[in-house]
Amino acid sequence: MKAVRRGGGAAVRGWGVGIVLLVAVPATAQTPVLPVARFEIDAGGGWLGGARLGARDADLRAAAPAPFRLFSVDSRFEAAPTLHVKAGVAFSRRLGVEAGITLSHPELRASVSNDAEAAPPITIAERIDQYSVDASVIVMIGELAIGRRTVPFVAAGLGYLRQLHEGRTVVEEGRVFQAGGGIKHWLMARDQGFISGAGLRVDARLYLVSGGIAFEDRPRPHGAVSGSVFLTF
Amino acid sequence: MRTAPWRAPWKALRTALLACLAVAVLSQDAHAYLHFTTTVRGEARVLKWQRAPVRWFAGDRAAAGVSASDFQAAMARAFATWEAVPGASVAFQFGGVTGAQPFDEDGISVLGFQDHPEMERVLGATGFLIDTLTGEIVESDIFFNSAFLWSTAAQGDATRFDLESVAVHEIGHFIGLGHSAIGETEMRPEGGRRVLGSAAVMFPIALGRGITRDRELQPDDIAGVSDLYPEPGFRAGTGVAGGRVTRNGSGIVGAHVVAFNPATGALIAGFTLNNDGEFQIAGLAPGAYVIRVEPLDDADVDSFFSRPAAIDVGFLVTFHNRLFVAPAGGAGERVTVAVRPK
Repeated sequence: MKAVRRGGGAAVRGWGVGIVLLVAVPATAQTPVLPVARFEIDAGGGWLGGARLGARDADLRAAAPAPFRLFSVDSRFEAAPTLHVKAGVAFSRRLGVEAGITLSHPELRASVSNDAEAAPPITIAERIDQYSVDASVIVMIGELAIGRRTVPFVAAGLGYLRQLHEGRTVVEEGRVFQAGGGIKHWLMARDQGFISGAGLRVDARLYLVSGGIAFEDRPRPHGAVSGSVFLTF
Repeated sequence: MRTAPWRAPWKALRTALLACLAVAVLSQDAHAYLHFTTTVRGEARVLKWQRAPVRWFAGDRAAAGVSASDFQAAMARAFATWEAVPGASVAFQFGGVTGAQPFDEDGISVLGFQDHPEMERVLGATGFLIDTLTGEIVESDIFFNSAFLWSTAAQGDATRFDLESVAVHEIGHFIGLGHSAIGETEMRPEGGRRVLGSAAVMFPIALGRGITRDRELQPDDIAGVSDLYPEPGFRAGTGVAGGRVTRNGSGIVGAHVVAFNPATGALIAGFTLNNDGEFQIAGLAPGAYVIRVEPLDDADVDSFFSRPAAIDVGFLVTFHNRLFVAPAGGAGERVTVAVRPK
């Protein structure tokens, strides 16, 4: 089991600067006519890209300064489908925050090669249960709206990662930093009623994962895309 | 026993080490690495000290380049290395300098030099006096062969064997550990084996003159002593890999099973120890492991087992086809590795 790792501060600061710049874009384009909703829920699914976890040799100490390699292991997470639910609060037509949980079940693959006694290379695997709980700042870019109902946005945030090895006996924890953007398309919008709007949303994000199951001590990037249905209240 | 790296392990030590070798029998239920066991009424008993601290005495003989006080200091450092293992509860106490000799059955545990030029391939050896009913070690002696040149220099001496390194190995035996097989060797044209690499102080063949790396315990050594003398919490914080190694569906005896943690680089190993081909490797940090099974072909089989004829070395190196996950405080899913004959 690993402790939550620290050290993502630099990445967070970088995204913070990015958000400030985006907010500062002057509103020169057409502003869509959409209700100002206070709350939003969102559910959907997507695809989490694979990522290399790192390589490590099974080294033996040798009389020579260089170790003797018994075999090599190169590991990666394979791409996997995801499911997510989110809830958000809008502070204004432009700015909001949201938090959610994303579930996935990626395969951890280890390619074993270069055996000192010529064992044939083999790829071995296990399934991981992966949960991330994260919070993001959302900035709607009304200036770039497509028509009256389709609005792009950018988002960035951070979260907690929990990974369970096969058999659910070992938990590993880490941090997730993410940034990206997407488009929201309102299928329905109204000024009256409990539900003020509904629509579709697509997201593309870059995740930087720190800690968790890791065979090298550095954050690893995952790309992700998702689509979802949202309701506003 | 630790042998010099440049010659075949010497086999005629059996008389001098009768106690040591007689107890290195196959066990039905021993955990990883190799713990010395004895059989009492058909039941395996692990050999260990049952009272702490264990008192040891330094022999008063010097050797070329190593004074009696240098010797005593090197032994104290080697004992301290084992005492410092965080997961293990083992303690030693220096009893003083004695004129008694190793392998005297005198009730005191003596470490000292002895000159045995006829033992031309033995750097040092450990013997025991045990209570055969309980498996308790009541006396253990270590001799270092002063027919070799020894060094206690902090950085080693390229022309001499490092006394502290060999002492750490022999003290591993002193507390009940057998040999580890995590190492690769090659045969030398003039005979004997050259160590290409090892990942355990308890590997039976020394790395060579001037090498001081065996002053530092490796994960396999640490798991071995922690399993034998566990601190409270050791078992709750570590996991066990267990399973079988089979060939054509039947268990094989003496297969060397290595667990590799890609997150830490740790290598910890055990053996299949019964006719069902069952093994257990305790002391694994929780996480994912690559399991590799190999024949016991990098040192003489009788370095590990007292019944070498029972050991099967006629199969190819094989990896388990899944990552093994070691949980904290228990055993992971049982592993079965089917190997192919050579």
